[in-house]
Amino acid sequence: MIPEQPEERRALIGEYVLGLLESSDAAEVRELIESNQEAARMALEWEQHLLELSDELSEQTPSRALWLRIQRSLGHVPIEQMAVWRHWWDSAGLWRLTSGALALVVLLSWLSTSLEQDPALANESFTAVLQPPREAASPGWVVQVDMNGTLRLEALVDQPIPEDRSLQFWTLADPEQGPRSLGLIQPGGSVTLSADQIGVVQAGQLFELTLEPAGGSPLDRPTGEVLYIGRAVMTVGS
Amino acid sequence: MADQMFDYEGQLESCARGDEGAFQRLYRQESAKMLGLALTLLGQREEAEDCLHDAFVQIWRNADNFQRSLGSGRAWIYSILRYRALNRLRTRGRHLDQDDSFIDRLADEGPDATDQLHQQREGRHLRRCLGNLERARRHPILLAFYRGMTHDQIAARLVTPLGTIKGRIRAGLRALQECLKV
Repeated sequence: MIPEQPEERRALIGEYVLGLLESSDAAEVRELIESNQEAARMALEWEQHLLELSDELSEQTPSRALWLRIQRSLGHVPIEQMAVWRHWWDSAGLWRLTSGALALVVLLSWLSTSLEQDPALANESFTAVLQPPREAASPGWVVQVDMNGTLRLEALVDQPIPEDRSLQFWTLADPEQGPRSLGLIQPGGSVTLSADQIGVVQAGQLFELTLEPAGGSPLDRPTGEVLYIGRAVMTVGS
Repeated sequence: MADQMFDYEGQLESCARGDEGAFQRLYRQESAKMLGLALTLLGQREEAEDCLHDAFVQIWRNADNFQRSLGSGRAWIYSILRYRALNRLRTRGRHLDQDDSFIDRLADEGPDATDQLHQQREGRHLRRCLGNLERARRHPILLAFYRGMTHDQIAARLVTPLGTIKGRIRAGLRALQECLKV
């Protein structure tokens, strides 16, 4: 049913671009456009001319949420979220809060005795005390990485979460790469992860626990509220 | 209006290479204009935003199908938006009652109502050529563009036999083609 004569064909494609054709005819033209460059060019020419009509309309600013939704659908890390991570990353205040808190000093002394260390091994191990964002000296969880690279996350408080939510554990070594999930955590519990699971830990690496939908974040990054956050501090073994 | 300084083709090619910054620039540049069209077609803000969402997802995913040898990047983007909006209209099967007075007003704009020379200088050839059509041919084309109506719907809306409407639109498009060549 597609005419051979170029001008007839061009008019038919114009009708297709306008959306006038019945579904079977439309499918035929669509197939032609997909397989024939000349037809594809004609369709875009119509579209280009019709932009003049579109430009008569007033602009409508989309809601702010729409851009985030598009990024989420595509699995892109929202710029805003990156900014939040960067903020934490760059926040000298968090460093001071974390390292300056009296509670931390107490904890570190407790931890250094509780770590099962083989004195013969290399002496790089890390600790991160996770606290609620912007709350000084109220540690909720502690992360220990021993010199074998094994990570242990332990609750210091037993804060319940809603039944329909999950607590998810994340780390961020490099803001460019974004956060990485280390799995779901039972509130008030503890978990041990092997070096293979967590990768190499560096001083300053960020750990956090977020409140996510049941079963965990639907995306490859946190979507919910940050409950606890802290950075890895190197602890020198004996 | 298309921003003459904005490189739509370049941004789409960057999107095809996975450049999320280019995608954001495209969104900043065009999303409000695109939403204006989606809203005009669909008549509901929420659905128009859903449609814009789907269009941008498709733009990113299909950016590597775009070829500048086939046409302008901006036209390509709008072809995706319109396609998705028209699909929604077909699925919905009916039109919301909307105020079509601006379409009637545009339909009334004959050659005398528009500053032909000015439009030609501005590169607004379609408006000029539409102005040269008889109103009876111009009006159904505008209804198709702005409301996404099918032949049947236009015939019902203008209380004109279907065959007559089809003939007028086809003749109108042929006349536009001739006019746009110049």
